[in-house]
Amino acid sequence: MATVVGSRRAKRLETLAIYAALTALVCIFLFPLLWILGLSLKTRVQLLAPEPLFMWWPTLENYAAVLWQKDFLKAFLNTLIVSTSAVLLSLGVGVPAAYAFARFAFRGRNFLFFSLLVMRMLPPIAVLVPMYVLFSAIGLTTTHLSVVLAYTTFSLPLVVWIMRGFFEDLPIELEESAWIDGATRYVAFWRVVLPLARPGMVASAILCLQLAWNDFLFAAVLTNNATQTLPVLMAGFTGGDSGVDWGPMTASGVLVILPVLLFSFAAQRHLVAGLSSGAVKG
Amino acid sequence: MSEASLALGTAARATAPPRARLSDRNFVPATLLPTFVLMLAVFGLPLLFSLYLSFTGWAQGRDLFSGTFLGFENYEDLLSDPVFLASLSVTFGFTAAAVVAQLAGGLGIALLLNAELPYMRVFRTALVLPMMVTPIVGALCWKLMLDPNYGVINYWIGARIPWLGRPGTALFSVWIVNVWQSMPYVALILLAGLRSLPSEPREAAAIDGASRWQMFRHVTLPLLQPYILVALLLRTIFEFRAFDNIYAMTGGGPANATMVLSMFTYLTSFVRFDFALGAAASWLMLLMSMLMCLAFIWALRRREGR
Repeated sequence: MATVVGSRRAKRLETLAIYAALTALVCIFLFPLLWILGLSLKTRVQLLAPEPLFMWWPTLENYAAVLWQKDFLKAFLNTLIVSTSAVLLSLGVGVPAAYAFARFAFRGRNFLFFSLLVMRMLPPIAVLVPMYVLFSAIGLTTTHLSVVLAYTTFSLPLVVWIMRGFFEDLPIELEESAWIDGATRYVAFWRVVLPLARPGMVASAILCLQLAWNDFLFAAVLTNNATQTLPVLMAGFTGGDSGVDWGPMTASGVLVILPVLLFSFAAQRHLVAGLSSGAVKG
Repeated sequence: MSEASLALGTAARATAPPRARLSDRNFVPATLLPTFVLMLAVFGLPLLFSLYLSFTGWAQGRDLFSGTFLGFENYEDLLSDPVFLASLSVTFGFTAAAVVAQLAGGLGIALLLNAELPYMRVFRTALVLPMMVTPIVGALCWKLMLDPNYGVINYWIGARIPWLGRPGTALFSVWIVNVWQSMPYVALILLAGLRSLPSEPREAAAIDGASRWQMFRHVTLPLLQPYILVALLLRTIFEFRAFDNIYAMTGGGPANATMVLSMFTYLTSFVRFDFALGAAASWLMLLMSMLMCLAFIWALRRREGR
């Protein structure tokens, strides 16, 4: 009896310890994000206070200032254009390929599949140097298209990777009956398989969107003032002196990460599937 | 994986109509072609060109193939450049330190999140946030926190340390930021691993009266090993190319203390406009990454083969 009570108390203590540890971790991990959010809600005077304020009446003036800036809105629009185009291109090209990898045995299948994966894993800077030289030779740099193509090189392998796993999990009987009914492979794929694959496509779209949204390196080299994306705009801020214009800078930062955090909530369930192919980061 | 899908592939063939249509026979090439044409054109071709570039010279405004053949001169220049050699050791040291910290912390977080208690999903969602954040903005958060005059960290410790202005503390600071951003990533992979482990070995060990530590050390850890290996290699590949945080926080300085290879290649190509030397540095990076990739694929296939 005594041991049962003892072990129950030990169990409760353990539960408490786990919650305490996790709460502490969450505080540490989220502090930088909460801090930048806090800074973005301070006035210029409050930001330059000799001791950081922990209690203050929040203001939205920084957000108002940022949203009036033409640079920010243009960069926002650019980011939206290049990320969605890259996602659409990657899905359009990659989904059929993923289907072929999942369903059909052909010579060189493993080699081709893993060579795609390797391309995803190579350092982007190593591709960017010659890409810049070639793109500028054909006059493609500083256009949206150059960034879209660059993003496609890393989101396409990701789409193929995620969608292949997704197609493998679909039952083959539906396609088989379509084939027996006389449908060609193309018709069966379009009419039978694709509608079933919609959740997988949504998940890969979100992961690719995030990858493109967060990219800095390619956009920094391949865009100019007119076509720059949000991360490039943000990097321009970080060069400033300490204490100068932290308000608009932090407000822009919050506005940049807000959409990504929303995407990530939407893609939570599919996150792990994408992880082993190097989704999200990179 | 491969056996199962191979079986599916042959099953698909067996049930296909006896007279396979011409268009059906083209299905696999037709679906694969766009992907590989695009990847070769935008990815493969530049890499080949960069190999050519690394053996010649090129300057902006000149024809693409106007360089003269220099042999290994660019590579020799690199390998005798003290900044490049230093950046090699910074990269390896930085990668190793970041990966070790991420794995150790990630494993701890994964074990905590694996507890069968209510609200674990809330904690998981919250802990995953740093890895979602745009790296440039994440680095900005830390840069402001580490600011010598107005930063909250200096306020707390009551000192005016120029964190990003001194070689030692600068490297430490970018290390902290990379660990912060990617520890959740490792935690998620290992959590998925923990969830997929068979329960029988642990039950058997519990019946045999194994202690908590013995259970972890001799049952869970060995079973988790393939996942740890995958996480280790993935993080090594991604830390090896670290760029965004370092660019935003230190730009490779002070005194080249945070000059990782990506940063070196970037500055060589896009600030000093020495594309041939940049291409040579790129190819050295590529060769090293390819080795890591092969190790990764080997680990992945081993895990899936289980």
